[in-house]
Amino acid sequence: MFDKILIANRGEIALRVLRACKELGIPTVAVHSTADADAMHVRLADESVCIGPPPAKDSYLNIPALLAACEITGADAVHPGYGFLSENARFAEILAEHNVHFIGPRPEHIRLMGDKIAAKRAATELGIPTVPGSGGGVGSDQEAERLAREVGFPVILKAAAGGGGRGMKVVRAASEMASALAIARTESKTAFGDDTVYLEKYLERPRHIEVQVLGDGKGRAIHLGERDCSLQRRHQKVWEEGPSPALNAAARDQICETVATAMREIKYLSAGTVEFLYEDGKFSFIEMNTRIQVEHPVTEMITDIDLVAEQIRVAAGNDLSLAQSDVKFHGHAIECRINAENPVSFRASPGKIVHYHPPGGLGVRIDSAVYHGYAMPPFYDSLLGKLIVHGKTREECLMRLKRALDEFVVDGIETTLPLFRALVREAEIIDGDYHIHWLEEFLARGAIEQ
Amino acid sequence: MARKPGTLQMPKAPVLKTPAIDHDVIRELAKLLDETGLTEIEYQQDGVSIRVARNLAVAGERPQTPTAIAGDAILAPVAAAIEPTQHPGLVASPMVGTAYLGPAPGARPYVEVGTQVKAGEPLMIIEAMKTMNQIPAPRSGTVIQILVEDGQPVEYGEPLMIIE
Repeated sequence: MFDKILIANRGEIALRVLRACKELGIPTVAVHSTADADAMHVRLADESVCIGPPPAKDSYLNIPALLAACEITGADAVHPGYGFLSENARFAEILAEHNVHFIGPRPEHIRLMGDKIAAKRAATELGIPTVPGSGGGVGSDQEAERLAREVGFPVILKAAAGGGGRGMKVVRAASEMASALAIARTESKTAFGDDTVYLEKYLERPRHIEVQVLGDGKGRAIHLGERDCSLQRRHQKVWEEGPSPALNAAARDQICETVATAMREIKYLSAGTVEFLYEDGKFSFIEMNTRIQVEHPVTEMITDIDLVAEQIRVAAGNDLSLAQSDVKFHGHAIECRINAENPVSFRASPGKIVHYHPPGGLGVRIDSAVYHGYAMPPFYDSLLGKLIVHGKTREECLMRLKRALDEFVVDGIETTLPLFRALVREAEIIDGDYHIHWLEEFLARGAIEQ
Repeated sequence: MARKPGTLQMPKAPVLKTPAIDHDVIRELAKLLDETGLTEIEYQQDGVSIRVARNLAVAGERPQTPTAIAGDAILAPVAAAIEPTQHPGLVASPMVGTAYLGPAPGARPYVEVGTQVKAGEPLMIIEAMKTMNQIPAPRSGTVIQILVEDGQPVEYGEPLMIIE
């Protein structure tokens, strides 16, 4: 097992990783920018190293500073959290060159899934259903129009080097193709440094359903069920739940087993999530995230498995401690990502939290680095924390969520709590009847009271 | 330069390498304050300066910040030496690494307390991943305090020296 783990991240995920390390009895090093000197995980860590000024490029993305911090503390492993360097294959390689373990997948899998065209090709080869489309990058306008006719309009153009919902353009008719392609290429080049664009059938009202996997890099891999993350605003997930209200046992077993088999075949190491769009009973692979994800607690609540602890175990060379038959699902869980933002305008609201009372009680979990008197710095994302609730059934879970949201007090800054209080009372949410455009349509109706 | 990884413990907060507080001196100074009726006494020796002041409350004035010691609360928890992080002559570390005061093990240190330096002259080396980075003096002046030890791990912003 590792002697010392350096946590290369901040905020709630840094605290999450710290908790797993403490429970495994592994000493921790918290690195932080000057803006995060008072962070909760910095206070709780065994050692801390300030690695730079507030901007991420000078601190959390500063590879030399992170390496130097490993060197002076003797850390022999780094957990990258999510975001920042968590899917930077080069960072994983550099750590290995310096005899520091990267707690995550192997660089070749990070690279493979980071290239969205290569990822799709790999998925197809592994028997994972994908969205029909160009397969590779599109060349000429004529080729794009021909493909679009074959696949059937509407189609969507996507950046090969993109991901996370960025660099996408919907095309509804052949006449729009030439200009859409030109714009997509330019945007992609600007945002990702690469103008390769591929084409897929556009699904109008799909759900976003993703499968959590864990592998030990030796050919053993398991799935831990799915999460439904359809409720999104500007491609950012807002509310996630598991199991998905849209799937029956047969559909669930089939897609989860297909994914687990694929992971065994490529000898995947660590945690990962395979994301699909689901419409008319059909799954279509969109991408794979080779990291621990924000919404991992949903899976933890319904399986009682500590995903971060498992990541640490397999990174240290242990076999996966669970077989697929050991994975049992119970009840239902919902996670709300609460941001320090105005619930109507979504303008960021950094500042000091003068009153903080999080909810508690049976089946209520808060993953947040915030505390009474904490000042949210303006330099990073606006995630205040995640409220995760578990119930024996989806109905009980929703009642508990409503109760927990009504107890939650955060004063001094604006938060999106009113949004969730409204959602938990919405008929279609209660019925589980929604899709990836639902939330934006709901917000456009102007239904939230501040 | 040889260094055993893992043997140096990184403290939680930036370590201020102030010398041990001489309680007897402070007690003496406080007694002097009372006996003479002075409001402030400053005493310097070996590069360490101690200032003991009486906290006079004047109508309409805000109470002083805790860095000034009231005449009778001798051992109140307060920095008796110059607060390094507030000193205008502070040189703070621009990087993470291990500080070495000289160019090689056993060599003379670049500077000592009392050395006059010109802006740009090397003050010390911070090593990270086998790369030696010379830390230049940001301004000309006299080195009045060296706040790190040879071979000490330092973080970004760590107080290194004070140049007046």
